[in-house]
Order: sequence, then C-alpha cells, then structure tokens
Amino acid sequence: MSSSNFRALQASNQRKTFGLLAGMAILVTVVVYAALTYFGQGGIGIVPIAVTISLISVWGSYYSSDKLVLTMTGARQIAYEDNPKLFDLVQEVCIASGLPMPKVAIVSDTAPNAFATGRDEKHALIAFTTGILDVMDRNELQGVVAHEMAHVANRDTLVSAIAATTAGAIALLSDFIMRMMWFGGRRDNRDSNSNPIALVASLVVLILAPLAAVLLKSAISRKRESLADATAISFTRNPSGLRSALEVLARDNTVVQQRSTAVAHIWIESPLDGGSVSKLFSTHPPIQERIATLRAMESNPL
Amino acid sequence: MSTTLIIVIAALVLIVLYAISGYNKLIRLNISVDEAFSQIEVQLKRRSDLIPNLVETVKGYAAHEKSALESVVAARAKATTATTVTDVAAADGALTQALRGLLAVSEAYPDLKASTNFLALQEELSTTENKVSFARQFYNENVRSLNEAIKTFPSSLFVPMAHVSVREFYVVDDPQNRQSPNVKF
Repeated sequence: MSSSNFRALQASNQRKTFGLLAGMAILVTVVVYAALTYFGQGGIGIVPIAVTISLISVWGSYYSSDKLVLTMTGARQIAYEDNPKLFDLVQEVCIASGLPMPKVAIVSDTAPNAFATGRDEKHALIAFTTGILDVMDRNELQGVVAHEMAHVANRDTLVSAIAATTAGAIALLSDFIMRMMWFGGRRDNRDSNSNPIALVASLVVLILAPLAAVLLKSAISRKRESLADATAISFTRNPSGLRSALEVLARDNTVVQQRSTAVAHIWIESPLDGGSVSKLFSTHPPIQERIATLRAMESNPL
Repeated sequence: MSTTLIIVIAALVLIVLYAISGYNKLIRLNISVDEAFSQIEVQLKRRSDLIPNLVETVKGYAAHEKSALESVVAARAKATTATTVTDVAAADGALTQALRGLLAVSEAYPDLKASTNFLALQEELSTTENKVSFARQFYNENVRSLNEAIKTFPSSLFVPMAHVSVREFYVVDDPQNRQSPNVKF
C-alpha cells in the first residue's frame, strides 16, 4: 500500500468506486450496442423495459431497506435501557462523525458480525449480533460501530443499490436478447449489419456481460468495505480498535446462520464461506489485507 | 444584438448564483463550527455533572486521598466559569488531568473498585471522556474546513460579505490529553 493515511485511502477508494461505476455504464453501452448490431433498430425497445424492471425490483428494497433488512435478518430494534454501553458507543461515534443517531438493533446469533443499512443517514439502522457484543471489548466494539457508521456516512446502501440495478438490468437485457435469438432470430437481415465477425462478437458480449456485471458489482462492494475502514479511522483516530476487532473476526470461524446471498454484502465480515468463494466474486476484501492496511495506519497516524 | 444581451444576462445570473452559493457555504461552515463548539460544552457539562457523584463515591472508600479529591473539585469549579475557546480548553485539560489522577489513586482500593456504584460511574465516565474528546476532534475538523475556505481562492472572495473570520483550534495543552484516561474493566 503506497499510502497509509486515512484521508488518502478515502480519496483513493472514492476514485476507484467512481471508476467501477463508470465501468458499469460502459458495460451497459456495450450490451446495448451488441443488441443493436444483432437485431438492427428493432431491438432498441427492450432496453427501457429491462432498465425499468430492474429499477422497480431494486429500488423498492433500497427505499425501505431499514425495515426490510430487519425482517430478513431477524434483527430486533433496541432502546437505550436494553444496552446502555452499546448506545454510549454509538453516541460517541455520532459525535465524532456529526451524523444523527441511527436506529440500533440486535440479531440473536452467536457468530460475531454487524451491519448497517438505510436509504440515508436519517433512516440509518445499524445492527450487531449478540455474539459480537459478547466477544469484543469496548475498544474493539468502538471500531466496529465506527465501521458501520462509516457505511452510513458514505451512503453505501445507495451505492450498492445502483450497482445492483445496473447488474440486474444487464442480466435481464442479455436474457431477453438470448430468448429473442432462440425464438425469432434476426428479423431485418436486409438492412442490418451482416458482417459475421460483428455478429459473433455481439453474441460473445451478450453471453459474457452478466458475468462481467457481477464481477464489477463485487469489486464495488470490496472498495466500499475498504473505504468504510478508512472512514471509520477518520472518526475514531484509533486504527488499533478496528484492527483488533477484525483479528477477532478472523480468528472466529462461526458463521452467521442465514447465508442468504441477498444480504451478504451488508455484514462487516462476509457471512459466506470464504474458502468456496473466489476472490473475484467476493463482496469483501480479504480480512488479512484489511488488518495489514490498519496496521500500516497505526504506525503512521496522520 | 439580442443574442449578446442574452449572453450578458445569462453570465450575470451565473455570477450572482455563484456568489450566493459561495456566501452560503461560508455561513454554513461558520454555523457548523458554532454547533460543534456547543457540542463540546454539552459534553463537558455532562462530565462536570458526574463529578460530585464520583467524588462522594471515592470519599466513602478513600477519604484520606484529600489532594486528589480536592484537585478534581477545584478543576471542576474552574471549568464551570470558562467561556472563551482558550479558557474552556485550558480548564478542560486541567480537569482531565485531575480526573486521571483520581482514577489512578482509586486503583489502590480494591473495595472501591468492586463497588457497583463505582463500576457504573466508570462506564459513564469513560464514555463521557470519549464523547468530550470526539467533540473536540469534530470541532477542530470544522474549524479546519472553515479556515481553509476563508484562506483559499475562490471562497476567500466572499469573506468580507459573509463577515466570517478565522476561528481558533481547540487545543488541550497536555499531549496525553488526546487520549482519554484509561479506565480498565
């Protein structure tokens, strides 16, 4: 890592997210272009349909994410009296970040983990498993709370909704087009481009595009995790807390009960079995890498 | 003719809009600094409210640690009268120092350390110390953004209009004060 101060890390992760989102936009353009090459102008009508379906399916869950995730993960919202120490920690990070107080929830699960969601900072919800509250000390929990509040500050629910919408639209588009090829074939052979190389190329694009979209989506998610680590340090100025929390998570090999891939990206540590998921598809950077980055920050604080 | 006129009007409108947003930015930054400072005061007040209870609890077990107890009470009295940023920061530093001394002294009294009252106070005190230091840090971040906007071009153009000035950082003398007193569980 060339630089180990959090401001530089924040800037570089923001830049990379932007680059990846631009990559998504380019991918959409390429898919549309491939569809046009194959079908001629007749194919253009399906683009808005695919985008609309994808928008509706993702944005409903984005808008009510704070309530939806509660039911999906079985989290229970708590009040100050239920856990004063946890609330104190959250208040501390709110003061450090200037963010409003989020809703706080508990998931009954022995695996240590935590997540943040909500469409904006006023509808934010952060949740912790009972396992993480048992196993971590004050300093480590403060790092975890700061990481979750960093997701809120960076609007990561929005970023991942954008990524999911685009990836969804691309998958739908290439699916539609494949079906049209299967059933209808190319209708306007006479005036469309019949260069065989272009046709083969557009087929290849349509087959590979959904895969590329998923890869981009995972890459965005990984960048947002690194960004949240850096932003958390900008709040607490205490890399050792989060570092030692991640070490606890790395040592622990229990896994959150529900392994739904739909909500995998929101946890602080990936709930999916690390061994079976290759690095390119994983939603989180390798935990050892995150620990090493934080360790570098500890030796070079500002 | 009329196209030139339209261009001139459009340019003027753009300049006015730009000036408004530049002016608003400075005003907003200035307000955030004030808000951040009042957050420090809120947290200092909270800490100050905890002290009588703490002093009473410690007295019950370690009444003869007079000097540590007295320095906390004196520092607290001083802190309640401070108003300017420099004075508040100095009084805050002195009180943090005194509290650290008192907590260090308490280490020697196992009965005190085991009392439920003291344990509850410790959690409250350590979260309040964290809140105080985060509030300081947040204030200084805001001062940094404001001062940067005042001193750099083009936002510096709007300074005379917005009547804002460079603010002072909240500096606590002792370098150790960047960390809260370490309360062990």
